[in-house]
Parts: sequence; C-alpha cells; structure tokens
Amino acid sequence: MRAPLHPPSHRRRFVIGLACALFLGVGVGLALLTAARTAERHQLASREAVVTLRALTDLIERVEAPPASTEGGLGDELAGLDTGAEEAAPPAPSENAGGGMGLGDELAALDSGAETTAAEPGAAVRHAVTRFAEAHPDLRSVRVVAFEGIRLEASTDPADTGARAAPRRLEREEKDVYDLGQRLRAAIEENRETIAGGGSPINEEISSQELSDGGFSIAGSVERRGDVVGMVLIRTAPNPAARPPAPAWLPALVAWLAPVALLALLALGIGERRTVLAAAALLLLAGGLFGFSRWALGVLEAERRDTASQLAAHANAQMKTAGELLAELVPTGAAPLDPSRWDVDPYRVPRALVTAEGTLDEGKLGEQVRLDAGRLTRSVAVLALLALVLLAFIGFGGAASAGQNLREHRIAYAYVLPAMAGMIVLVFFPFFYSVALSFTNTNIYNANKPVTDLWVGLDNYAAILSDFSVIRSTPDGWAVNYENFYWTFGFNVVWTIANVAIGVALGLILALILNTKGLALRPLYRVLLILPWAVPNYITSLIFQGMFHQQFGVINQMRQLVGLDPVAWFDHPTTSFVAVLTTNGWLSFSFMMVVSLGALQSIPSDLYEAAKVDGASRWQQFKAITLPSLKPALVPAIILSVIWTFNQFNVIYLVSAGQPAGATEILITQAYKLAFQQYRYGYAAAYSMVIFLILLAYGVFQNRASRATEAIGE
Amino acid sequence: MTRKHGGEIPHWPLHLFLILMVVVTIYPILLVLTIAFSGGQSLSIADVPPNAGAGDRLRAILPWPEDVSTSNFRSLFIQQPFARWLGNSVIIATATTFLGVFLASTAAYAFSRFRFPGRRAGLMSFLVSQMFPGTLMLIALYIIIVQWLGLGSTYSGLVLMYTVTAIPFCVWMMKGYFDTIPKELEESALIDGASQAMIFFRIVLPLAKPAVAVTALFSFMTAWNEFIQAATFMNKEEMYTAPVGLRFFVGGFSQQWGYFAAGSIVTAIPIMILFLFLQKYLVSGLTAGAVKG
Repeated sequence: MRAPLHPPSHRRRFVIGLACALFLGVGVGLALLTAARTAERHQLASREAVVTLRALTDLIERVEAPPASTEGGLGDELAGLDTGAEEAAPPAPSENAGGGMGLGDELAALDSGAETTAAEPGAAVRHAVTRFAEAHPDLRSVRVVAFEGIRLEASTDPADTGARAAPRRLEREEKDVYDLGQRLRAAIEENRETIAGGGSPINEEISSQELSDGGFSIAGSVERRGDVVGMVLIRTAPNPAARPPAPAWLPALVAWLAPVALLALLALGIGERRTVLAAAALLLLAGGLFGFSRWALGVLEAERRDTASQLAAHANAQMKTAGELLAELVPTGAAPLDPSRWDVDPYRVPRALVTAEGTLDEGKLGEQVRLDAGRLTRSVAVLALLALVLLAFIGFGGAASAGQNLREHRIAYAYVLPAMAGMIVLVFFPFFYSVALSFTNTNIYNANKPVTDLWVGLDNYAAILSDFSVIRSTPDGWAVNYENFYWTFGFNVVWTIANVAIGVALGLILALILNTKGLALRPLYRVLLILPWAVPNYITSLIFQGMFHQQFGVINQMRQLVGLDPVAWFDHPTTSFVAVLTTNGWLSFSFMMVVSLGALQSIPSDLYEAAKVDGASRWQQFKAITLPSLKPALVPAIILSVIWTFNQFNVIYLVSAGQPAGATEILITQAYKLAFQQYRYGYAAAYSMVIFLILLAYGVFQNRASRATEAIGE
Repeated sequence: MTRKHGGEIPHWPLHLFLILMVVVTIYPILLVLTIAFSGGQSLSIADVPPNAGAGDRLRAILPWPEDVSTSNFRSLFIQQPFARWLGNSVIIATATTFLGVFLASTAAYAFSRFRFPGRRAGLMSFLVSQMFPGTLMLIALYIIIVQWLGLGSTYSGLVLMYTVTAIPFCVWMMKGYFDTIPKELEESALIDGASQAMIFFRIVLPLAKPAVAVTALFSFMTAWNEFIQAATFMNKEEMYTAPVGLRFFVGGFSQQWGYFAAGSIVTAIPIMILFLFLQKYLVSGLTAGAVKG
C-alpha cells in the first residue's frame, strides 16, 4: 500500500491518533493499577509483620511486668551493678541517640565489675518468646534486648545457641542492635515531647527493613509503665501474600484495540468528513477510558478488601495465640490484649482497620476504598486529558507538521537538544514542580507521595500573606515577631536600599577620584580596590563573621583600643544589621566602582574642554556631562545590584545567620530555613514563589520606569 | 600631580581618602594571611592580657603574626581532609566546565546560525530562567535529585546543577560571539564537502576561542565558588567541596581559624587571579545582557 503525501487522509490520522491516545491512557492506567496492587500486597506483608511484632510486644510487656507488685522486670537486679550512664534515671535521648561509644564503655565498665547473678528474671519472657516462636513458623527469629545491663534477654536466633545462648550481655559486634534500640527509645521520647507541645510525631518509632529475600526485619520498643526498657527485634520469612500480581493484559488489550477497530469500521462509512471523524474518535476514547477505569477501580477495590480481610484474619490469629499464652503464663490480673493497637504506622499511631476484638472495621475499609476511588478518578482525569491532547494533535495533523518541521530542521534541533534537555529536566520542570509544591503541605516525610494527595490549595499563601501580627504582646510587653513575613520583607527592602546606596555612593566617589587626570599610582589603587570583588563572597562572609566575634574579633579589639566597650554584635537587631551591612558594603562597592570607572573613561575629554570654554563650573560639568554619560552603564548595574542584594544569601546566612532570633533574616534565607531546617517543603515553596512574584513585579516596574524616563529624556 | 592650574583641587586629600579605602579593603585580606601563617587556630592576632595597655591592644589588631609558621598549611593537607575536599572541587568544577562549554557552544551555534521554529522561545526561556529564585529551585531539585534520583552526595548531581546554572549566561554570550563570525567561511566549507559536525568542531569553535575561554572560565568559577547548593546536597564529609569544607572549620561550634585561613588562601588565590583577568569581560557581558533584557 502506497503512502500518498497529498492529500492527507483524515481517516488514517484519526485511527492512528485514537490508537496512540488509548495506548497512552490504557497503558499508563495499567501500569498505575499494577503498581498500586503491588504496593498493596507489599504493604500487607509489612503490616502483617508489624502486627506480629506488636502482638509479641504486648505479650512480653504483660509477662515481663505482671500486675502483682513484685518487681521482676528485665534485668532489674543488674541496675545495682551498673554504675554507668545507663542508670541515670531519665535516659537522655541525645546521649545515646547517635549510638556513639556508649556500649563499648559500658561493656568495659561491666567487665571489671561483678558477674551477673544467675537469678532468672527474664525466664518468663524467654518462655513466652519460645512458645510464641513455636506457634509462628513464619518467624525466622525473635530477639529481645533489655537496655538495663545491655542484655540479650531472649533469642530464638539459630546463632544464639550454646555459649551465645540468651540471656547474656550483648557483644561488641552487636553494638548496632543496641544502637537501634536506643534510637527507637530516643524517637519515642522526642515524639512525646513534640506531641505534648502540640506537634505531630516526626521520628519513626518502629524500624522496618525489608530483607533481600522479601522478608522483613522489624524492631519496636518494650515499655514498662511508660518507660522504654527494651526492644523486640523480629525477622520474618518472605510472605507469599506479597508476591506482585501479574498485569491484567487481556482487559487492557480489549480496552485499547476494541475502540480502534470500531473507529476503523465506522470510518469506512464516514469517509473523509473530519468533524464527524473527530467526534467519533472522541466518543470512543472517552468510552474506552471510562470502561477501563471502571474495571480498574473494581479490581483495586477487590484487592483492598482482600488484603484488609487477610490482615484482620492475621490479627485475629495473633490474638488467639498470644491470648492463650498470656492465660497460661500470667494466670490472673493481666490486662487483656488490644489488637486495635497492633496495626499501626511507623509512629505507632493505629490505622484503625482492626477493632479491639480483632475483627475488620468495615466502615474504615469503606472509607479507604472511597479514598482510593477518588485518587484513581483524579489520575484517570489527568490521563484522559493528556490522551485527548494527543488525539487532537495527531488527528488534526499537528503531528504530521511537527514531524515535517523536525525533519526539515533536524540539524538545528540536534544542536539545541542537549542543552535544552538539561534545562528542561533541571530548570523548567523543577520550576513547575515547585509551583505545584507550593499548593501542598509536602514535607521531608511525605515527599514521595503524589502531589495530589497533599493538596492544600492556597493555604500556604494565605498563612504567609494574611498574618499581619508583626508586633504582638508578650508577658514582658510588646515584642516584634521576627518570623513574620512582613517583618522579613521590610527588613529585606531596607537591607537592599541601604546596600545599593552605599555601593553606588562609594563606587561612584572612588571612580570619580580614580578618573582624576594626572593622579599618581592610579593602576595600583584600582587593582587593590577591585580585590573585594575577586574574593569569593562566602570567604568574605566567614572572615567578617570572625571579625565581628564578641571576644576575639578584631573589630571589638579596635573599639577597646579607642576606649569603647566591646559589643555583642549579633545579640541586637541594630548591631547585627551593622555587621551584615559592613560585610556586604565591603564586597559590593568594587563592582559599582569598576562599572562607573569604565563609563567615565569612555567620556570624550573634549566635551569637558568645550564646557570649560563656555565657562561651565565643575558642578555644571558634572551635572550636564558626567551624570548623563554614566547613566547607561550605571542604571543596569544598579538594577542588577538590587536583585543580587535582595537575594544575597551568603552574607546573611554566614555572617548573622538571622540572629538575633531571625531579626536579620532576609526572605531567601528564611525560605531556606523553612525548607532545610524545618523541612516544610510545601510552605517553603510557597514562600519562594512569593519572592519570585516580588522580583517579577520589580522587574516589570523597573522596565516601565526606565521606558518612561527614556521617553521623557527624548 | 605637581601641575597646578586654577580651579584644580589639590591631590593630597584624594590620596588620603584612597589610602584609607585601600586599608579598609586589604585589612581583612591581611588578617586572613596573618591567621594562616600564625601556626595556631586562634581568631585573635595576639593574646590581650586582662589589663592591657594601648600597646597590647595595638598589637592585637596589627595584621602580622607573632610567630611566622607554615604549619597550618602542612597540617591542612596532612591531618585534615582538605586535600580530598579540594580534589572534589577540582573534579566538579572541571566536569562542569567541559559539560558547560559543550552544551553552551552547541546550543549557541544553533541559535546563531539556524532559523527554526521555537528559536525565539528557546532563547527567551533561557533568559526567563535566570529570574527563578535560588531557594525555589533548590527545594524542587533537592526532592528530585536526592529523594527521587538518589544523587545526593555525588559528583554527578552537583555537576548537573552547576552546568544548568551556567548555561543561560554562556549561551547568550557565545551566541553573541558566533554572530560576529562571518557565515561565508562555513558556506565555502560546506561546498567543499565538509559535514556539519566538521564545520562546527574544525572551523567555528577554533574561531570562537576567546568566547570559549570566557565561557569555560565562567563555568569553572560558578562551580568553584558555589556554597549553598554544595552545602545542601553534599551530606557526607568526604564529599564536601572546598567551600563547604572551609565553612566546616569555622561553622557551628568549630573554631579552627588557622585551617580556615590557610584553606581560604589555597582556594581563593587561583580563582582571584582568574577573576582579575576576566572581570572586564564579565562587566561588559553582564551590563550588555541587562540592557537587552
């Protein structure tokens, strides 16, 4: 079959267009569906493991500290032997959180001390663990660590037999196990403080690691009356339920090819009528995608129900085994087990899918299914839009002419492609991604979720711009709220104006002096005065930060030389401002000087000669000749310098770091702090967008203004 | 300056002012030299006794070390990991230079020589990209490069970012230069049967040597002097660049001013010399760009 170039076949274009559009829609849809199902099953496996861990922990906590008042806890009697930091009553999280040298030192201290007495405090715990492991063939190993005495209290690990059998002290090589426990303890304690302060927890209280074979290694802490006293670490065998599903090719193929075949048939009857063809293709596209998405939704819902009931069944089974063990080991008075606290997220917040009776909460499940449906519908809507664009592009001949274009200018595009690809991936895409981020509450912990799940609309912008509480009352009277956007913005403006004024004034004066005819040593002065511009500005900033040091800085030494008191420069907004202003003044006047000097030297000297002949005074010469000739060079330099100074990150960040209390923060350092010290990516993106809009407004205004002055000048 | 005719101001007040400014200008630089050659880590030049007289105080601000020693430079490279950091900077800046020159010169050549749909839009988009604020890009790039691509603490992540930072300026500058090279040379080469690639690499690039040099230096300096992206993306100590390492010496609670000063000298001297050669091109490039924009 020949492919005639003229006239174009609308029929063929629409059939190809529909095929491509549906391929895009159905293909991506199928990939999303498969990914979601895989994730669901994977999550089931990890949640089952967490449930097992929590059930075991619940059991151990009850067995280890029975309601009867006798203290028979994990290695309690060891406390008397251990004189190390371990004993200090409220365990300081920071001390052990990094997992530094704690264990080694303590082991050494213990080694020299008395040997453990052979009382069996953890016998009940060991018994419970052994019995629990027997009931769970899918558990590879269980290890229980007590912090007091750094003991391995119980273990079913094949390696921990013979001389290494529990109970024993942890060995040096097992420091990472101990450190993990301390990390979890620190996380729990830190989270408690955060929650008490009204925040939401940020540290993971359950550590979950997927092993290379598909099993999980999960650790959680053991508590006694609210104190974290130990850790349970389990390894599970690969869970058969976690096997990824096979993609459902057949329905996808049908959804792709059936509408295409139908359009091809219809096209025989329609002929080359473009509008009718377009309408038919549109209908078939919508129909195909709609059908496919309904089917996908059904599959996903079934998957969700299936995994949820599996999870509930798992929790129920745990409740039975653990309950039987508990009844056996602690015959009286133990609090009942609570399965609703077993299915938890990494912050130990219950997901509420399993009830206290160990059954499935249908209402919660329905809620999750509805959430899924909403999410899927949004994705399909976006996909459908893209597919529609593709259909129109191919159907109406856009693709053909674009292809024509590409072929014709392929050399040019080949040259531009590498740079353009880099710019698109690392500049334009990130820009639009940031714009999207600014409408979300993305932070470091949820950055992997799709943007649509975190959408908060204009909330960030509203929070930034509608907070006018620059000054607020405190118990000690009125105080400025330095974190407020308008304070920072105001400071940023003052900072910019002051700096540019200093830079222009100094630069211009120096340039005028250096332009004096017959002045000796001019080249030497010029080179020396350019130096500040040549020094990298982060080095300048760090030096000046040192020079303004309260005790050792030379500036305070100079003040003392002339009999003044040393100043704590960064303790007060005004002095801190002086410090950053001095630094920026030092590093920015050279640029203005070089620019002005260049412009001054290009003024022909006969202009001045002529003015002198006409009897003009020096001031008149300056006003009529020098200033107008400086303007073309100075105006763009000032515009540039305003933008540079407005965004002068390094000086503020390295010299004052916003001290005191964020008073000398400028917008861009504040945005950085929000993003990389508080990890509020979404909010920081909105903050940065505001900065961008301010600069954009300045750019437009400046453009207008310079055009207006030009118009007046002409 | 001995010539004095009516109305001329005398030169000595000008010299006085200039000398004052020169002192202010070079004092911080001399201070760095003093601390670097002091052999110690102290920020102060000399210890001031509790009830110091004017002499002691004067000594403490005079930028000359009490004992001259090069031990800071030696231990900077032997005891401290500074050689590694400097090496990181060299690798990153060199890679950025090559990649930047390659990408900028090819794109600039196309923008200068060919007329194709999207040419104007492409050029304008490069200009507009210069207005995106740094932190805005930093957040998105951090998520993309570190959290999605896993390129945190790697050379390639930083090289890619520095290259695209430098590209727009370099493209505009090189396009301006290519515009001045007569087209006839290439046309005659084409008639002689040279391929497009041959024309670009064998004829155009050699003719544009000055512009290539400036582009290369600009790319190099962009990468060499960059602090905040490197500080954000390089979390492992052995992957620090020189600027991040210098800040490591005196940031937070660390007060190793001797190492900082010695390291600053090693890092800054080469780039300062380059800069003094380059500054006139930079000034004209910047102001010309601003006038056009």
